[in-house]
Amino acid sequence: MELLRPSSLDAVDGGVPIHGGTEVVPLLRDRIIETERLVDIRGVVPSGVSGRTLTNEQQLSSDNNYQAVIIGAGTTLAELEASTQIPAALREACRLAASPQLRNMGSLGGNLLQATRCWYWRLKFPCRLHGGDRCHAREGEHREHAIFANDFCASAHPSDVAAALLALDATLRTTTRELSVADLYRLPTEDDRATTTLEPGELILEVDVPAAPRSVYLKAMDRKRWAFPLVGVAATPERTALAGVAPIPWLLEGDLDAATPLPQTAYKVELAKALVKRARAAVASG
Amino acid sequence: MARLIRTEKEVEGRYEEVWLVVEEDALEQWPDGPLKIVGRGAPRVDGLERARGEARYTADVRLPGMLHTAVLRSPHAHARVKRIDVSRALELPGVRAAIGPGDIEQLTGEPGYQGAAVAAVCADTLAQARTAVAAIDVEWEELEVVVDPDDAVRRGQVHDKRERSRGDYERGLAEADVVVEGTYRTQTVLHNSMETHQSVAAWEGDTLNVYISTQFIWGVREEIASELELPQDRVRVVCEYMGGGFGSKNDPGDYTFIAIELSKRTGRPVRCALTRREENMAAGNRNSTVQRLTVGAKSDGTLTALGGEFVNALGWSGWNASTEGPMQMLYACANVKTTTWGAKVNTPPMKAFRAPGFVEGTFGLECLMDELAAKLDLDPLELRRRNYASNDATDDRPFSSKNLMECYRRAEPHWARRDEVRARSTETVKRGVGMASQIWYGGGGPPSYAWTRVGSDGRVTVVTAMQDIGTGSRTAMAQIAAEELGVPLDWVTVSLGDSARGPYASISAGSSTIPSMGPAVRAAAADAKRQVVEIAAQRFDKETRTLDVKNGSVICSDGGKWPLEDVVGLLEDAQILGKGARGPNPTGMQVLTFGVQVAEVAVDVETGEIWVERVAAIHDVGRVINALGAESQVEGGIIQGIGHTLSEQRLVDPETGTILTRTLDAYRMPTIADAPEIVSELLDIPDAHLTNLGSKGLGEPPIVPVAAAIANAIRDATGADVRSLPISREEMLRALREARERERRGAPAAV
Repeated sequence: MELLRPSSLDAVDGGVPIHGGTEVVPLLRDRIIETERLVDIRGVVPSGVSGRTLTNEQQLSSDNNYQAVIIGAGTTLAELEASTQIPAALREACRLAASPQLRNMGSLGGNLLQATRCWYWRLKFPCRLHGGDRCHAREGEHREHAIFANDFCASAHPSDVAAALLALDATLRTTTRELSVADLYRLPTEDDRATTTLEPGELILEVDVPAAPRSVYLKAMDRKRWAFPLVGVAATPERTALAGVAPIPWLLEGDLDAATPLPQTAYKVELAKALVKRARAAVASG
Repeated sequence: MARLIRTEKEVEGRYEEVWLVVEEDALEQWPDGPLKIVGRGAPRVDGLERARGEARYTADVRLPGMLHTAVLRSPHAHARVKRIDVSRALELPGVRAAIGPGDIEQLTGEPGYQGAAVAAVCADTLAQARTAVAAIDVEWEELEVVVDPDDAVRRGQVHDKRERSRGDYERGLAEADVVVEGTYRTQTVLHNSMETHQSVAAWEGDTLNVYISTQFIWGVREEIASELELPQDRVRVVCEYMGGGFGSKNDPGDYTFIAIELSKRTGRPVRCALTRREENMAAGNRNSTVQRLTVGAKSDGTLTALGGEFVNALGWSGWNASTEGPMQMLYACANVKTTTWGAKVNTPPMKAFRAPGFVEGTFGLECLMDELAAKLDLDPLELRRRNYASNDATDDRPFSSKNLMECYRRAEPHWARRDEVRARSTETVKRGVGMASQIWYGGGGPPSYAWTRVGSDGRVTVVTAMQDIGTGSRTAMAQIAAEELGVPLDWVTVSLGDSARGPYASISAGSSTIPSMGPAVRAAAADAKRQVVEIAAQRFDKETRTLDVKNGSVICSDGGKWPLEDVVGLLEDAQILGKGARGPNPTGMQVLTFGVQVAEVAVDVETGEIWVERVAAIHDVGRVINALGAESQVEGGIIQGIGHTLSEQRLVDPETGTILTRTLDAYRMPTIADAPEIVSELLDIPDAHLTNLGSKGLGEPPIVPVAAAIANAIRDATGADVRSLPISREEMLRALREARERERRGAPAAV
């Protein structure tokens, strides 16, 4: 296996991109990703948080603390959890993710692209997400699995950060286009088992996060730290988004009674209702 | 004089009758309470070596020319190998040898659980060995998989059925004013020692050297010698430093025999080490249980009947731990009847895990007792006092010592915090306090030996081929020798961990290290001290009874004082050698440990989140040797118990028997953020009948009552009956829902 360290985006040509490696390395070890070429993109993907240049009018009307920011996709979660420039929901989602060691290595872009923790998928059962014809979790152990859009594949998306960016209505700039965070994700289907719309070779470069004076992220997990969300809830006054409840980060439209839980995930509906109520109360105006 | 006796020997609650040669234990016990060194806190004598990375664990052993092993483990929970071909693997680069079913007993052609060892390859590098294992060609015939223990019992698929009864259970039930029934479930949990199971085998002439992460150097030696038909002294077993075992490393394991065989075939040292994923598949577990329990009591709380049907899901093999033990032993109740099934299922075999059976059984029994207390409207602590067993409840033997009533008394101030804790509840976060009692073994036993060597500089070496499994045994043994010999702690070195360098020593399991080894070390130190005193008496013309050794000097009651190095320095190159043996356990007495824990919790009744805020642990384990080490045992036991109670569970796919939680992100042990405030109180009352130390073991007692104390605190806080471990969000929310429904129906709340 070779490891390339390109110094410009133009030099990136094929291979599996790797940044912090907290997701790619375990997947390589489990042979879920197989490649002869790793491309270290730390030198070519921007990192850091910067305020977006505002018009005079925006500057006059907006509190500096709540200005929109542009975040390089190479920024680590550890940098973001300590940033005072970003909305609270994003900061909190970073702080509650993983462990300090993992946050020191893991990048924002990588976090958005992480795969499900579904044990059947990680153990390479020939499940639908791997191109097979059944979802083993639906009939097996699925306490950590989805309560929405779980008919085809019951996996749950593990990213706290993605739920926060979804609620914040963030926009991504990639090597080829601009798209909303919502458009980064797609539900797997019979014809296409992918959970993101990223094209081969396409890299996320920057995340544009609108100003959000009031936002919050609440997370339920199996222990106090270092666990993926059973349910994560990000909210702004306008939007509520959930982690751990569907194969992709889930924008909550309507209410939780529309959920279709499996026998072992019914508790997630109750849990999500409680967290959504709290999150919305926390960001409600007045 | 050596005395031959026939006696009962107990390890982890299992008894066997053995012949023993015992030497009389002539030493009087030390006076009660902390002494100069024993009973005080001592930092680990090997702390710096460990921190600096100098301590050589089995994982650090790298011998010249050493080969690495990868093991083909069954991907199926139940299957037959129809055909296996290692020829392709053998042709790969670096590969030196391959073995399969039939080559050694530990490799099976008919695996009964996922992860069973089927074949193994050794190569110059681990990567080469792994590549080669992937190239082994196997044709499997898959067989039927049974993973549900109740299902296994219905099919008659059982390893063991144990029935125990005293009195007349049915009559006791008929006499009861109140009967409470409950079904309790505990999950399978994994040991997850820091150091995975591993060995390095190396032949040196006709001697086999085995470096192994083990809790029992001598047991490993015996088992290997017997399996290979070698004289025992041709097997040398080494374990200098160890990264934990918790009961899972009492025997050599398949990996050791694989390494030995491959070493034999290649003439090279061979290392076989489990990965974390293999560890969590195939290295043992605390088996799951189903406990269907009944208690009958008079309205004043007097127990009239206790009954239980216990199903232990042992896995494909394993032993039927005493899950009924607490029900049989904890309380004075005339009528007790239990049946314990050991179900045979297609999951990896259980192994002893820190108080096996009693951790699970205490959860069921002590939750049941609290449900009874609620029904009787009795204070849970008072209910336990009213059913106090003054003698062994199973056979009326006296206890060598039992200070559980004193533990209850010491628990009172913690228990009295109830009102204040509950008062801190809010609309959504309810707080409560719960308690549970602890009963377990921990008396140790003979044989165990130690030697001491005092050099002409007065420095002392304790030599014994015991192991320190990470609990701080080295430090405790150094303290005992220093106390007895009257020298500063840093004058004592403990040489352990090598069967070729020291006498036989006991297993480090069953909370037996200190009670088994401590008395032998003290006796060996006393033997050396006796000689020092005799030498000084002759040199300085004093009577021996006027002499003593204190703080590194020989002192005389007439005020004379001579530094120890001056006394033994007279002898130039001579050394003073002492030897000591562990004396017998008191005959006709039951030796047990006791305790009580009081837990404070907060429960978010909307989200099911649980915070364990405080645990007070009061244990009666006889004399304390190292106050600091003892405290960290209590803390470790409670934190491990919190994992068992709230977040850990090994999950198995019900259809295929595949182990789903192999990695540390999927299998959730507590982090330090989950650890509560822990108040540790040890009574430190020596057991007057037990050895020259009066010490019992503390490795296991602290984990025994944790789950029940937390579950009872949750019931106190919320009125919800949690009866299944782990008390995950779904179990907590289910119990809260059930409690709300019960209240809506107008049934009296449990609190």
